Amino acid sequence: MIDVIVVGSGPGGVNAAAALVEAGRTVRMLDVGHTDDRYAPLIPAASFTDLRRTHEEQHRWFLGDDFEGVPFGPVRVGAQLTPPRQHILAADDPRLPVDSDGFAVVQSLAQGGLGAGWGAGVFPFSDDELGAMGLGLRHLQPHYDTVVERIGVSGSLDDLTQFFPPSRGMMPAADFDSNGESLLARYLRRRDRLNETGFFLGGPRLAVSTRTHRARGPETYRDMAYWADPDRGVYRPQFTLEELRRSPAFEYVPGHLVHAFVETRGGVHVQTTDERTGEREEHEAQALVLAAGTFGTARIVLRSLGRWGFRVPILCNPYTYVPTVNLGLLGRAVADRRHGLAQLTAMLRVPEGGGRLVQAQVHSYRSLLTFKLMKEIPLGHRVSRQALQMLMPYFAILGIHHEDRPSDGKTCRLRRGGDEPDVLEVRYQPSDDEVRRQRADERRLLGHFLRLGCLPLKVMRLGHGSNMHYAGTFPILAEGSDLTCDLDSRLRATRAVYLADGSVFPWLPAKGLTFNIMANADRVGTVLARRLAP
Amino acid sequence: MATRAGESTLDDEARLFARHLVRREPEAALVARYGAACARLFPAEPEATDLALLAFVRAHPWSLGPLDAVLALRRPQSLLRARLLVMAAILETTPAHAADFLPRSVGMGRLAWRLPVLGLVAVAQVLVGAALYPFARGRA
Repeated sequence: MIDVIVVGSGPGGVNAAAALVEAGRTVRMLDVGHTDDRYAPLIPAASFTDLRRTHEEQHRWFLGDDFEGVPFGPVRVGAQLTPPRQHILAADDPRLPVDSDGFAVVQSLAQGGLGAGWGAGVFPFSDDELGAMGLGLRHLQPHYDTVVERIGVSGSLDDLTQFFPPSRGMMPAADFDSNGESLLARYLRRRDRLNETGFFLGGPRLAVSTRTHRARGPETYRDMAYWADPDRGVYRPQFTLEELRRSPAFEYVPGHLVHAFVETRGGVHVQTTDERTGEREEHEAQALVLAAGTFGTARIVLRSLGRWGFRVPILCNPYTYVPTVNLGLLGRAVADRRHGLAQLTAMLRVPEGGGRLVQAQVHSYRSLLTFKLMKEIPLGHRVSRQALQMLMPYFAILGIHHEDRPSDGKTCRLRRGGDEPDVLEVRYQPSDDEVRRQRADERRLLGHFLRLGCLPLKVMRLGHGSNMHYAGTFPILAEGSDLTCDLDSRLRATRAVYLADGSVFPWLPAKGLTFNIMANADRVGTVLARRLAP
Repeated sequence: MATRAGESTLDDEARLFARHLVRREPEAALVARYGAACARLFPAEPEATDLALLAFVRAHPWSLGPLDAVLALRRPQSLLRARLLVMAAILETTPAHAADFLPRSVGMGRLAWRLPVLGLVAVAQVLVGAALYPFARGRA
């Protein structure tokens, strides 16, 4: 019998598997594992600008063969996922039905999961933030360090280090583009006054290899991160999966959708359907690690334990986009060399908020194409094009994250489907106080950016669930019901089922979650490897 | 299946939209791509108002700018604007037209007169478009 079955190849799955394999355990990874075989092979390793100027077939991947890259209607959740990345979403998959009250439930059956389209932001939680899980930095720091080495992280020590514990082995920070450079220079001139009011700005910590690392990178600043991974400078979970597949202790089984598990005296049986044959299969191991994404794991757990209709919490960082014009850059020449990820990170410690944090990522806009912005501007298309050509280099797009905590209005449950697949029902209604607080925090944050010369043009809220950092369904708590996890991430209702995705986080600080999922998954793999029979 | 007359209408529309957006004739391949995109993206029979607006701009090419501008405010999801967006997307992803869409670094001087001029053009187009709109949609 193999030691451990891991479900899912996303950020959690591959890092749990890597820790297990490195500890000498045998692992079988069950995954649906959709990939993009249509567009990725077409995209040459060249810069965005060069491709635009020279490549006759560029419309195939920029717009898609079915023109699926041309958006209509209001901006939708996942709009940043371009045709070569759209395989990541399992939006209309009839096997994963959802009933929600407007909350965006984005699910993935792709190789790499939602991490295959990750923005690569690395935001480790602090000791205080981990305290709510009954854990501390002493538990996670070794795993932050391991994951930093495994995936390749670049960053520097700056004003943000107080918010993000540093790791050994970080590579030098990625270069700023002109937008980032000019904003940071203005911040440094006003730093003392801004810091007094709780506002801090610095370079983002990114899962980007700025030197060759594990045969990946270095980042070549071609600004193609939304479309392809030709230089493999930006980390994707599939890269760790490739490394794992070279190990004889690891077996990857794609094309399998997991339905349920059953625990026996000797281990865990996992029931799947083979996508190609439609046949039911059963796999057996000593232990099971579920990393199918928060919603995927919720389906499997609730179905396996027969808890249809039982409500569990659901969390997702509230998120707001604010396009601004960086007035300080107007009229200045803008360098073409850049990467397409966040250029800066801002943290606001709300003075009267008891230490409450708000985070903003600052992006430039270029490689998602001009016509998508034309759609959002209430002008004729020709005038929009001419105005955008002049102004686009000066756009600084803010992505603002708020914290999220559980409440009675934020729940999900599995509705029994009978002959049809079970339906995941999601209800997400934050309190009026929460919403008011978030709006006030946004106004304060935008005020600081205005002082730095960023003039807000529009505040865009895509609705609840739009930032896709889902969490909190089976939280790690020092003590709790059988639908919570113990400190080792083991689901209390089970003997040997561990969770290694967003499910286990009892609250969401105002920081991107993905890197923390990876570190906790590495911790789960490490703990489990020690615990299993030799 | 599209008829020959329908294809010809779409071809005319592609040329009209390209001339409006970038002031140049599109290559034959782009005209064909526009037809394929419309067949794929707009398979349903258009509403009478949308058909009337499209017919009006084909008959009176000078009206496209003003009607596009007023629709941006009154009916941003209209078929005319959706089809213009498709043509913009097709032009943008073509090497021959890349320079029409790639960002341009311009000095403060040029920015200082160009932006107000564009603003005036936008206002004038909305005013003309608002006057034209009832007439254009009424020709259905």
